[in-house]
Amino acid sequence: MEIIIVLAVIAFLVVFFVIQYNRLIRLNITAEEAWSQIEVQLQRRADLIPNLVETVKGYAQHEQSTFDAVVTARAKATTASSVADTAAADGLLTQALRGLLAVAEAYPDLKASANFAALQDELATTENKVAFSRQFYNDSVRQLNTAIKTVPTNFFVGFAKVSEREFYEVEDPQDREVPNVKF
Amino acid sequence: MDFRTLQNANRRKTIGLLIAMGILMWILVYAALTFFGGATTGIVPIAVGISLISVWGAFYGSDKLVLKMTGAKLLQEEDNPKLFGLVQEVCIASGLPMPKVAIVYDDAPNAFATGRNPEHALIAFTTGILDVMDRDELQGVIAHEMSHVANRDTLVSAVAATTAGAIAIASDILTRMMFFGGARNRESNNNPIALVFSLLILILAPLAALLLKSAISRKREALADATAVSFTRNPSGLRKALEILARDSTVVKQRSNAVAHIWIESPLDAKSVSKLFATHPPIEDRISTLRAMESL
Repeated sequence: MEIIIVLAVIAFLVVFFVIQYNRLIRLNITAEEAWSQIEVQLQRRADLIPNLVETVKGYAQHEQSTFDAVVTARAKATTASSVADTAAADGLLTQALRGLLAVAEAYPDLKASANFAALQDELATTENKVAFSRQFYNDSVRQLNTAIKTVPTNFFVGFAKVSEREFYEVEDPQDREVPNVKF
Repeated sequence: MDFRTLQNANRRKTIGLLIAMGILMWILVYAALTFFGGATTGIVPIAVGISLISVWGAFYGSDKLVLKMTGAKLLQEEDNPKLFGLVQEVCIASGLPMPKVAIVYDDAPNAFATGRNPEHALIAFTTGILDVMDRDELQGVIAHEMSHVANRDTLVSAVAATTAGAIAIASDILTRMMFFGGARNRESNNNPIALVFSLLILILAPLAALLLKSAISRKREALADATAVSFTRNPSGLRKALEILARDSTVVKQRSNAVAHIWIESPLDAKSVSKLFATHPPIEDRISTLRAMESL
């Protein structure tokens, strides 16, 4: 009788251990995949930029400073590797692209061209993909970090060799601007 | 209410309803035992078996079967890069694999998703919905459909359909046995109240099962709306899309009523007898829930 109880307890502990361990590993893999998804989407956006800049240049030659801003931001974005660096470069590039599209507004011929419309469409969907991959990454990181800090999964962190991950926080100057309220 | 509370509430209610279905099955068995005695116990496994076979086949091949039943045509990325872009966006937001995308040539705006698991998912749109909706609205619709995939609603409705089917078949066989008499034996109860009561159960069980099945379907729709918001974080897109569907009075020309429940806007509910049998919650309620999420 005692042997059965001991065996049952051992079996229970083994199953418990396996479930918690697998949960941590699964969360870690999801976060890892979410991170590579961000990189894929950022790369896609970077690949769109030369084409977009060339198209705008064809109609608006005198906006050199805007083009330079986009090109430098793109170069920074493609070389960044850590989460914080990538996020910062991503924010800069988003801002530079916004400037480029604002310039385009002033050239009716450019706005009317089919090529530009197609590029704008592709940029819009890519921007959304970047934003959604960020959101998914941050959700996965939140779940992973919560599991690492809470009972019972926190006991298995050492075995699973997982560690907390950094959130992807984009600094968007537009979000920081304090709205000007007048009474 | 935010989407997480709504998701949890709808999940709990689905489980409750599925349990109620199981209890209904047991009540039916009990009624049969009271009325006929032990001789009928074999009927229940037979009913479950028949129901399992018929539903399981439809569940396993749901993506291919539904294509045939709705006349949907599969699309390639070159056919409609804009639509594929939108579907990819929602896949990235949800972490789901890319589904097959199909189109139904029909002017009524509508959409559906099916498939036994996320790897075999199919999402389809009518030409009508692609014409009338803008980017944000379509994104909301896609998020709603992909939520059905994420929440495994094909599986949930297959389980509900199996139980409801088994109850219908068992009750059918038992009522026939009653009419052709004979089967009552000495073991059976002879208390007249118990007899009348079990008779009522035998007759009403399929109706109750149908009501439970519809209730489950409505909960899954409400859950899909909440999950859609968790993907896009933009309740107004789906809300505007539902407003368009509510205003629109055209209905998909269906080949079969069997797949009516999978559309985002049910082609049948408009003429359904009562709210209790509707497969979708009233569209006005869905709109006001989403509006409440917008004001957060």
